[in-house]
Amino acid sequence: MNYLLKKITFAVAIVCASVSLIASAAVPKTYTSDMVPPIDSKEAFVNWMVTTRGEDKKFLAQRWDRYQALVQRKDLTNDQTKRAFLLTPREEFVRKISLAHTYDDNFLDIGYGVTISGPHAVSRMTSVLDIQKTDKVLEIGTGSGYQSAVLGHITDKVWTIEIIKPLAERTRGIYDGIIAKGYTEYKNVRTKQADGYYGWEDAAPFDKIIVTCGIDHIPPALLKQLKTGGMMVIPVGPPGAQHVLKITKEANPDGSIKISRSDIYNGKVVPFVPFTKLEGDAIVGSHNK
Amino acid sequence: MIASTEPNRNEWSQTGFRQLCMYAAVGCVAGAIIALQIGIMRIFAEGSWAHFGSLVVSLAMLGFGLTSAVMCLARHWFERHWFGVIAGSLAAFAPLVVGANLAAQQLPFNPIFIVSDASQKWRLLANFALYLLPFLAGSLFLGTVFLRAQRVFGRVYFADLLGSGLCGLLTLGSLFLFRPDNLVLVPVTLAGIGGVLWFTGLGSRKWSIGLGLITLAALCVHVQLPELAKIPKLSVSDYKGVSYARKFPDSKQQYEGISPFGHLEVYSSSYLHFAPGLSDNASLNLEEMPANAYLGLYVDGDGPIGVMRDLADKDTAYFHYLPMIYPYLITNKPNTFVVQFGGGISTMVALHSSSKVTVGEANPAFLKAFRESDVLKNFTKDILNRVTVIPYDGRLFLANTSERYDVIDLSLADSAGLSNPGGFAIVEKYSYTQEAMQHYMRALSSTGVLSVTLWNKEEPPKSVLKLFATMAAAARANGDKDISQHFFVASSYLSTVTVLYKRDAFTQEELSKLRQHTSSMSFDEIYSPGIKVDTVKADHVFKDFHDSIYSVDSNSAQATESMPELESEPAAEDTLSEENALTVPASLLNQLAWQALIKDDWKNFSERYLFDVRPLTNNHPYFAAYVFPKDLPKITDRLELFQDEWGYLLLWATLAIACAAGLILIAIPVIFGWRTAFNRYPGKSQTILYFACLGFGYITVEVGLIAQFIQALSNATVSASVLITGMLVFSGIGSFVSDRYAASARTTLPKIFILIGALLIGYSLVLNPILNAIGGLPYPLRLLLCFALIAPPAFLMGFPMATGMGVLTRLTKEHMFLWAWGVNGCFSVIGAALVPIIATSFGLAAVIATAGAVYLLAIPAFFGVLKPIVNETNI
Repeated sequence: MNYLLKKITFAVAIVCASVSLIASAAVPKTYTSDMVPPIDSKEAFVNWMVTTRGEDKKFLAQRWDRYQALVQRKDLTNDQTKRAFLLTPREEFVRKISLAHTYDDNFLDIGYGVTISGPHAVSRMTSVLDIQKTDKVLEIGTGSGYQSAVLGHITDKVWTIEIIKPLAERTRGIYDGIIAKGYTEYKNVRTKQADGYYGWEDAAPFDKIIVTCGIDHIPPALLKQLKTGGMMVIPVGPPGAQHVLKITKEANPDGSIKISRSDIYNGKVVPFVPFTKLEGDAIVGSHNK
Repeated sequence: MIASTEPNRNEWSQTGFRQLCMYAAVGCVAGAIIALQIGIMRIFAEGSWAHFGSLVVSLAMLGFGLTSAVMCLARHWFERHWFGVIAGSLAAFAPLVVGANLAAQQLPFNPIFIVSDASQKWRLLANFALYLLPFLAGSLFLGTVFLRAQRVFGRVYFADLLGSGLCGLLTLGSLFLFRPDNLVLVPVTLAGIGGVLWFTGLGSRKWSIGLGLITLAALCVHVQLPELAKIPKLSVSDYKGVSYARKFPDSKQQYEGISPFGHLEVYSSSYLHFAPGLSDNASLNLEEMPANAYLGLYVDGDGPIGVMRDLADKDTAYFHYLPMIYPYLITNKPNTFVVQFGGGISTMVALHSSSKVTVGEANPAFLKAFRESDVLKNFTKDILNRVTVIPYDGRLFLANTSERYDVIDLSLADSAGLSNPGGFAIVEKYSYTQEAMQHYMRALSSTGVLSVTLWNKEEPPKSVLKLFATMAAAARANGDKDISQHFFVASSYLSTVTVLYKRDAFTQEELSKLRQHTSSMSFDEIYSPGIKVDTVKADHVFKDFHDSIYSVDSNSAQATESMPELESEPAAEDTLSEENALTVPASLLNQLAWQALIKDDWKNFSERYLFDVRPLTNNHPYFAAYVFPKDLPKITDRLELFQDEWGYLLLWATLAIACAAGLILIAIPVIFGWRTAFNRYPGKSQTILYFACLGFGYITVEVGLIAQFIQALSNATVSASVLITGMLVFSGIGSFVSDRYAASARTTLPKIFILIGALLIGYSLVLNPILNAIGGLPYPLRLLLCFALIAPPAFLMGFPMATGMGVLTRLTKEHMFLWAWGVNGCFSVIGAALVPIIATSFGLAAVIATAGAVYLLAIPAFFGVLKPIVNETNI
């Protein structure tokens, strides 16, 4: 009898603790597209985010430090992408085992032979696309969901496709979970499991397309679904040493269409910067050392 | 009672059947160690990456050195407890192989994260430690056997080499039967047979049965335990190409073949799409790409290599947008030769445009798959039946044929290898060497076109520059003084590059067609006769590329201040003056490269460039080792940038570890035994040098010749088989024969060394043309001649080790006996790591010449070995 009582007491305690956890994890204020976190100081940012988004102070501090490094090395170059980076809880999209490395400047394993790109890669790709509030964006290769989450803070028209079924289901689950917490902005990220080679014809055309999976050619269907005047970016090469290929689709004066390939630096060669490691808010070196 | 445990009676004093059993046992266990090495390399090739397999095996072999050092210091203990040590090591070998392998497979590491994830380094270390264990057991057995068999060392060493050679061949043959996940069964079985034979030789039925049962139990555990415990026998990385294919919802394995030429798997899935280098303009003009048009072919889990369905004419419209269509734009129904069949995509394009197609394919496993699999035959409409097949290297066929072709095509033959993440192997690419290109060019009809397409995905460019230099050098070597009218080059940024060479100069009409096509595909024109290139920016491009890799101080955030705004426009002085000039620096660099080649000024270009871009030759056949050795210290904080060089960088790591281990090995007896055990021994340093030279020289010749003999034998696996077997067996015979000259070693061995040195240095000068000529002969004759080439040096190279060990025995330098064996093994590892480094820097001929010089260096060292212990009688 005593044993049973103990069990019931324990179960009630667990339920209460869970309810308390869910309550504390809920987002205090509903997301609006004009919501902008302060960027004048780390303290102001962390406090605002705790009050508004109810996120963990430790991760917020790391996010701020990484943000500073990304701005400094010009991976984040426009206001809408800076804001998106600051608002996106990357820690929700990495595996528990990698949580300690969430804001390392590095790609991380997320299972299924897929990586979550490093903050620098996501920031640079998103900055290059220069996405506007009204842009329709298609992502091929949902992966962890982090890239589309960043996009979701810039525009409410995001479509993303994942080829690996269990990964697509897992990421959908992550989205559903954080939407339930109150991250309503992610309701605008439409996901599906399919072969990204054929794009998302029902939703086409798109202003911007971002391809984050390897292929030996640009799928013609994707180029067809890109609006004239639109832009596509694709990382080429092994993780960590990827070069971003930019493809633009423009109309010639005679009305014909021109598709051009270029690098993202307008013909400049940019020095490689080794992955940086942060200690506090200082860059102390490379991950290789 | 075991006969050999009787007082004052050595187990090697037995005769007849029992003695034969013991020699056979030594051969089997030595063979088991070779089998384990091959097995581990195959396991790593299948599960993650072959280079780490080589690294693990190299380090495990250092276990021999470690064992010898320990045994050297505790010699008396090992002599007293020889039976227990041998019985224990034999009994432990099989369980250790099975246990270590299964444990290692539960701790897979991922090379992709080895830089970024510290835990991966621990996993790699765990793999080293686990795989080291069976090697320690093997080395304890051999070390104790050698210790006990000093008086008959020549014969035991003969058994060791013969067993290694024959079991190496047996293991390669067993690759026809076992998939890599079951390959450990081979060393377990061999060691089990060795154990049973050993105790049969000693007359111990009880131990024989016991060893047999332990082996059977180990085999059962490997076969049954993974299934029962639901653990993998072989963990395949999620990042291997085949892992993705297995995850596609509709994927289905359609073919599987196992052989020494690789573990082939073919998967079908609607998710597989191939169109390497497809023009982006296909999206503007093509209605749709054909669906379900491909199968994915995987070799050892790497790939996919595309296998194209036989398409209806209406579905082949997209061929026009592939770079491999180029030669067919200016030829009419040509007689075409495809140098490497691979998965057959370029052959399909050739069939579509040619009157007759001949294909070469050096990998018999590919041909077997396409000939025997009904799925592949139906899918490709029996493609091999529609072409003439040369069942070996197309390069060798073209070098020796009088047939002439209108089109010779070498398109993305190594497509999987060049596009895979995770590091490229340092492998010999004889199909891309200057000599090979010369053969292709000579085999063209008077209006024929050679077309070579390669991936162009590196920035700064590397492999394409080597290709350019190689093809230009080949044209010049063939007598084209002015090569400017013979080339046309087009590329697509971060996609492919195609080089066309026409035996006669291109006509204006042809050039017009090629330029028009290039423009209509939105490809970049890199070179054509008369092209104008903005050379003003050359200095700028060279400097920018150099600085992009080397100039930034990794610890200085300020350094990043120089980075341009992503959205900023190029500075005014950067704007190109030519209206149609390329704005992508990599493409501009490619244009500058061709300007340099046309002016025969490659030396100047390559001196200014940040990477090694020397042409490929048969002596230097590598698309690898682009980083100059002097620059290696600068890249340690940016290794992720050099993932395509990790194979090369790992060699340096192996070399560093092996050198450190070598020093420790030499240091252990120096520290613990120099003043005691070795005190009375004169010529210690020379003895170290002598056995170091033998270890280094032998492995250098073996590994160097494996790389060179691919030239004649077309295939790395066959070459390795011929060399491992040939070298070890002939050396074993040499070791056996050396006994007869033991008494006259002082005069005989220096002569042997001079002969070895002369032969090897001679080989380094003449081997290339000889192997090239052999390559044109029927295959059995090729094999015979290769064995004949190996025999003289290998036979002679069997003498020094046996003789040296014999001398140590006769001079009663017992403490040095095992230590010498360890030094020899340790320097084998150093040599094996150094071979590709020497080869990539100085060429394969330099490897063999170095080995020759090292054998000559052993002559003075030998006289140190001969120095008698004070107050002892000289030999």
